[in-house]
Amino acid sequence: MTELIPLAACILIAFGIGSNDTSNALGICIGCGVIRLQKALLLFGCFVLLGIMIQGQRVMETVGKDLLEVNVPIMSTALSISALLIIVSNWKRLPLSTHQVIIGSLIGAGVSSGAEVSYRALIEIVISWVVSPLAAFATALAIYKAMEMTISRLALFPLEKVLRILLLLSGILISYNTGANELATIVGPVIHAGMIARTPASLAGSLFVFLGAVLLSKRVIETIGKGITTLDPYSGFAAQFGAGVCVLFFTSLGMPISTTYCIIGGISGVGMSKGIKTVRMGLVRKIIANWFLAPTLAFLGSALIMRLIS
Amino acid sequence: MFEKVLFGGKREQQVIEDIKRHIEILHAASGCFRKALAENDKQQLYCIADLEREADSIRREIISKVYEGAFLPYLRSNLVRFVEIVEGVFDLLKDAAYAFEFLDQTLDKEISGECVEIADKNLKMSELLLIAFETLFGKEDLREKTLAIRIYEKQVDEIKHDLIRKLSEKEVKNFWRGKMLSDFVDSLTRISNVIEDASDYLVIINVSLR
Repeated sequence: MTELIPLAACILIAFGIGSNDTSNALGICIGCGVIRLQKALLLFGCFVLLGIMIQGQRVMETVGKDLLEVNVPIMSTALSISALLIIVSNWKRLPLSTHQVIIGSLIGAGVSSGAEVSYRALIEIVISWVVSPLAAFATALAIYKAMEMTISRLALFPLEKVLRILLLLSGILISYNTGANELATIVGPVIHAGMIARTPASLAGSLFVFLGAVLLSKRVIETIGKGITTLDPYSGFAAQFGAGVCVLFFTSLGMPISTTYCIIGGISGVGMSKGIKTVRMGLVRKIIANWFLAPTLAFLGSALIMRLIS
Repeated sequence: MFEKVLFGGKREQQVIEDIKRHIEILHAASGCFRKALAENDKQQLYCIADLEREADSIRREIISKVYEGAFLPYLRSNLVRFVEIVEGVFDLLKDAAYAFEFLDQTLDKEISGECVEIADKNLKMSELLLIAFETLFGKEDLREKTLAIRIYEKQVDEIKHDLIRKLSEKEVKNFWRGKMLSDFVDSLTRISNVIEDASDYLVIINVSLR
């Protein structure tokens, strides 16, 4: 019966990813009218599944095997606290990273229960959290400069067509990363605890992400879509694609990193190309504060609950 | 779906064709106006109202297709604004034709030459506007076309000053004739300004996605 707790928590988190992160991937495309909502949801679901099936393995191993030896009590505590924090953060509109919450919870529950934690793996993950937004910053800046030297020279209407294709490609890449990195971070522990095999876990995880997208993402996408009307698609693509390439690179290294933080890094990179004054430093400070807050809260919450259960 | 993304949807193609057609009608109306003025034949002015009606219905088509989702959002409002500026040229042509029609006599010889010259330059500017719009598909330089339009506009301004000087020296015998003549010259000389505004807006559209 207790084995159902981590599974239920996984379902909740996967559902949450579907409802919130579809806009990360295809919000720009839908807002720009490149693709309709129903087709976008289907595309998102397909690429999430492809991502976890093709490249999810490495991240699953890092989170479920290399970081610590997971067991049912650790997972029940860690994933329940993660699900709770993610739901509360969505409700209170605090942008907490799903990855950081899950890793923080797993470490908190692991340390508190006396499980052996690989600090080497933890340091690698934390370094990737620091490096990935900076890498996205540099990649987006490089993409933006490359676009200025290449497609920017096209005539207006051909450029518009190229931008449509690029925006769709970029959305597909983020959808793929959602499966290969984000969903893999969630299902990694339950797979490596031997509760469920990899293929059914990947299929079920993708299904719940898709359901979350179909049932709850519409309002988030509409909000993003309305905001996008004033967003420059040229810079938007450079930021999003830079982030996507960066997440894909860290995924191939098996590092669970946040797409949202990479997109923030990408947007800052594009902003920087127009001068440092375009980057809102107040907002950057708030994001950095949340960067520390998410894993710390998850760590303390899980450690406390684990201690109480023990 | 991929056909739409790769080659641009039918809606986008239709909007582009409609905008071209809208400017072609402007060129036709400018030609018709010039001919009527050169031949001093008020009967020929009826074509302006017909062409203006046709252009108005195309403008509505363009706006509805754009707001149904043709093109990226950044481009939509700019394209609509461009079409509305071109529509402003039709309004001035119609006003000039209306005033010319209600002049109880034909144009005086002292000013008719300048008026025909301005109408001729307006015609050339409308042709250049179409060529400028077409540069948005290819590698030709839009700045050259907008520069040519600006030069024509400056020439029209110079003719306008001469025209106003000549008009100010004329004795006004009848209030309504004076008013109609003033309205006619005012509308005729403002056409080039609005075509220049439209060409400037093309420059804005051209850089809006970059």
